[in-house]
Amino acid sequence: MGSVTGFQAETPLHAKAREVLLAAFDQGWADPRKIHQASRKAAILRDEAREKFGELLQLAPDSIHFLGEAALGFHLGLTGLLARSHTLFLPAISRQEVFATRQSHEYVDGKAVELASDLKGSVLDLVAGEAEDVLAWQAVNGETGIRLAEPEGFAGRIFLDATSSTSPENGEWDAGLWESGTWAGPRGIGVFALRSPTKWRNPLPHLDSRVVPGDASLPLILTSAVALEHWRAEQEERNKKVRALNEKIRHFVTQEIGDVDIAGTMESAFTGEPAKLSFSFLYIDAERLVSELDRRGFAVDSGSACTSLEMKPSHVLAAMGLLTQGNIRLTLKMEHDERYVDSFLAALKEVVSEQR
Amino acid sequence: MIINSLGKRCPQPIIDIARALAANVEISEFELLSDDPATWPDLQAWARMTGHRVEQKESPRYLIWR
Repeated sequence: MGSVTGFQAETPLHAKAREVLLAAFDQGWADPRKIHQASRKAAILRDEAREKFGELLQLAPDSIHFLGEAALGFHLGLTGLLARSHTLFLPAISRQEVFATRQSHEYVDGKAVELASDLKGSVLDLVAGEAEDVLAWQAVNGETGIRLAEPEGFAGRIFLDATSSTSPENGEWDAGLWESGTWAGPRGIGVFALRSPTKWRNPLPHLDSRVVPGDASLPLILTSAVALEHWRAEQEERNKKVRALNEKIRHFVTQEIGDVDIAGTMESAFTGEPAKLSFSFLYIDAERLVSELDRRGFAVDSGSACTSLEMKPSHVLAAMGLLTQGNIRLTLKMEHDERYVDSFLAALKEVVSEQR
Repeated sequence: MIINSLGKRCPQPIIDIARALAANVEISEFELLSDDPATWPDLQAWARMTGHRVEQKESPRYLIWR
């Protein structure tokens, strides 16, 4: 299908970010902590990038720390806020990195409470907790696109996983994490924000007061800032386009294919963030479905057990009570037009009916 | 009636149920044997989507009724 990049979660670097990539490497190669001229220039560029992220994500620039490996932010944020004697509360639809922290916490006899979800993806039974307990909250669920309501009445510290968000998150939280790949920036770069440094202790071996270990690539940070700026500038146009496609696909799979379980509704699952759409077909082998669609030129993701290395179904779908078999997950993108989506839907209908 | 899906991976246990139900419309209660980890979440979702009721018994047994 020509130049279109498919429905997988990953996306190529934003065209405007690509334009500045080489220049960013030319300008930002030096170590910003040294005192040479090139280093001073790099320090200015780093501070400007911090200002830009601060403006776009509505964060205080001095609360922002860049990570060369975004996933490290889960450990930094959660373990840094969490004392061994206190409880970690985590929604059952959290990312695997949160479960990994839970495992480490329980290994040293810490307590963790998993919070169930309902079909809408709402988190149930959140209690107030104590002042030093930690809640691992999620802004937008990366599998279903569902935006969680802000947690209410929690007395403790909050880590916000905003890795599927491209927006400012203005609710209550103490440490937060965004991921550059979400706005078509370089993948892997993390924006870690620490609003409450007094509640946080660096959980990594460290010698100085730096919050993150080492330096993330400055050229990639600069490129990411450009990508986010353009992503946000296009947000209204993207939302309009992708919303219409989201609605069209939901209608088609329900009316034209049937026996399908769709995660969330247009209201709950279309957030304007990278638009996710997750649905599962009864009596369908997802591995065959994904392979057949790929053979026809359509890349899709899946949360079904048979498509995972561990042969386990998506814990998010299972926690929400959604069907995990025959699942496909689409990320709708700016370049997806009606024609592309129509061809995809025709292929999907054909593949599903062949399997059934 | 017992539906034996032991050793089968998803989506086969749910397909086995659908086939058994279609072939035995006079029977209202079934027992499924399945050791696939996806069976319990999928069985509950299937029941919600198709108007059936299900119960998890001791592994690997599940009860299904209309």
